[in-house]
Amino acid sequence: MDDTLQNDKLARRWRLFGLVLAVLVYAYLVAPSLIVIPISFGGAGGDLSFPPKTYSLHLYEELFTTATWMQPVLQSLKIASIVCVLVTAVSVPAAYAMVRYEFPGKRLVTILMMSPVLVPVIVLALGMYLYFSRLGSTGTTVALVLGHAVYVIPFVVVTIGAGVRQLDPAIEFAATMMGASRRTLFLRVVLPQLVPSVIAGALFAFLISFDEVVIAWFLSSAQTTTLPVRMYSSIHWGVSPVIAAVSTLLTVLSFFVCLVSVALQPSASRGTARANLSMTADPQVAPT
Amino acid sequence: MTARPGREAIIYLGPALVLALLVVLAPLAFVLYTSLFANGSFSLEAYQSLWESALFRRSLATTFEISAMGAALSLLLGYPVALHLSRLNPRARAFCMILVLVPFWTSILVKSYAFTVLLGKQGIVNASLSVIFGTEIQIPMLLNRVGVMVGMTNYLIPFVVFPVLASLLAIDRSVYRAVEIMGAKPPTVFWKVTLPLSMPGVASALISTFVMSTGFFVIPALLGGRKDVMLANLVDFYTRETLDWNMAAAIGVILLAIVTLIAGTAMQIQKMRGHARGV
Repeated sequence: MDDTLQNDKLARRWRLFGLVLAVLVYAYLVAPSLIVIPISFGGAGGDLSFPPKTYSLHLYEELFTTATWMQPVLQSLKIASIVCVLVTAVSVPAAYAMVRYEFPGKRLVTILMMSPVLVPVIVLALGMYLYFSRLGSTGTTVALVLGHAVYVIPFVVVTIGAGVRQLDPAIEFAATMMGASRRTLFLRVVLPQLVPSVIAGALFAFLISFDEVVIAWFLSSAQTTTLPVRMYSSIHWGVSPVIAAVSTLLTVLSFFVCLVSVALQPSASRGTARANLSMTADPQVAPT
Repeated sequence: MTARPGREAIIYLGPALVLALLVVLAPLAFVLYTSLFANGSFSLEAYQSLWESALFRRSLATTFEISAMGAALSLLLGYPVALHLSRLNPRARAFCMILVLVPFWTSILVKSYAFTVLLGKQGIVNASLSVIFGTEIQIPMLLNRVGVMVGMTNYLIPFVVFPVLASLLAIDRSVYRAVEIMGAKPPTVFWKVTLPLSMPGVASALISTFVMSTGFFVIPALLGGRKDVMLANLVDFYTRETLDWNMAAAIGVILLAIVTLIAGTAMQIQKMRGHARGV
């Protein structure tokens, strides 16, 4: 009896120890995202202390009225929007085919399409830089859009592929039996069922492109600088306080995307496409 | 699903494949080509001068060092979180998961900025320590290895949590009941049951975080110092500062070879294990 009592005590202590460790790490994970918020509301008269002595919207005002910040913001919005539409349009049929069809060379196709997440981004970015230089189009928005599009496709294909996997093939079979053409089948039977994962995929595409820095660092020019590139140079060459305001807005955006992704993909063990891709070196599109 | 002709698949896959061929495969081929051809003629000169370059050898070593340390530290920090998540009920888990997902989706630049504010000489951490101990404390934590490790672990922990959590959730609950009935103490349960059974998740976490780290660029550039130049930073240096594309491409090829080798070996081992278990 005494023994179990002692075991209970030990168990409680052991659990408490685990909890404390976990809470500390949670705090460590969230701290950088949270710390930028109060800083962004200070900053009046160059005051960057923490916590700020006075609160103001000074930094936001500066952000929205400075061309060297607003231009990259608009540029990133533009690129991310185009990438989002382009990649979603391309990835829905691709994800459907990857899940539903078996064909010779499928493994090779999978590796090729997934390679942007397997290859270090810096190598991909260098390749694009050399490639677009040869074509005479580095620094153009088109190059940036294409570069981001191929980088984002794997994440979106995996996200939508997970949605396709949950569809009942019998419904598609029934539609075909009743004479639906391939196009009708895809547009009127498959697509409507996929709406949640398509929305999730499109959001990921937008956010990943909006936050991407390495490819943009290599491909953008002074006229086509994206927001992350602007932030990178700003941190590199002496921090401008406006970054706090930008960071806060980006954190809010990330939080929003994260909530939507949790709502649309309720299974916690599934994590997100981004994690699934990186956690298995196996390029098979099969995280269920 | 039954096999259907590949011709139909091609229609669906077409646009994505064209993009991948033109904007992934072609650029990667360009990297290989540029590393091997200088001024139109084939030569291994770039690789040779890399081999002789002290800068390259040092940053190769640094890359391995930082990657190994980053992967190990992230595992140590991420494991308790995965363990905590695995013991929650699904509702609570979804909530705590947000605490892992928010940093996961947060831009690396937001984090880098936050850490320059937190870890600087007059940063929040040093200022707080000064107040607590009542003396001026200025621990250098920025533009050195500490800064790189903080930035890397913060970025990598989610990539540890997801696979380890999946492994932990896959453990049969009845195993725990059995060992508890037999009177095993909690630490024993952890070391003899939980940890060994979560090894698949641990292994894939270690490999993927290590592989990811080898290509890191932003964190060493913004939070590291002169001694923390990794291969990716060297690629950037040769491409943009010295305009030596030949060298940059050769480093790119080497980096790609390292990553492929590690990922390929890991995949092979996984496959062999799978066969051994008859899966």
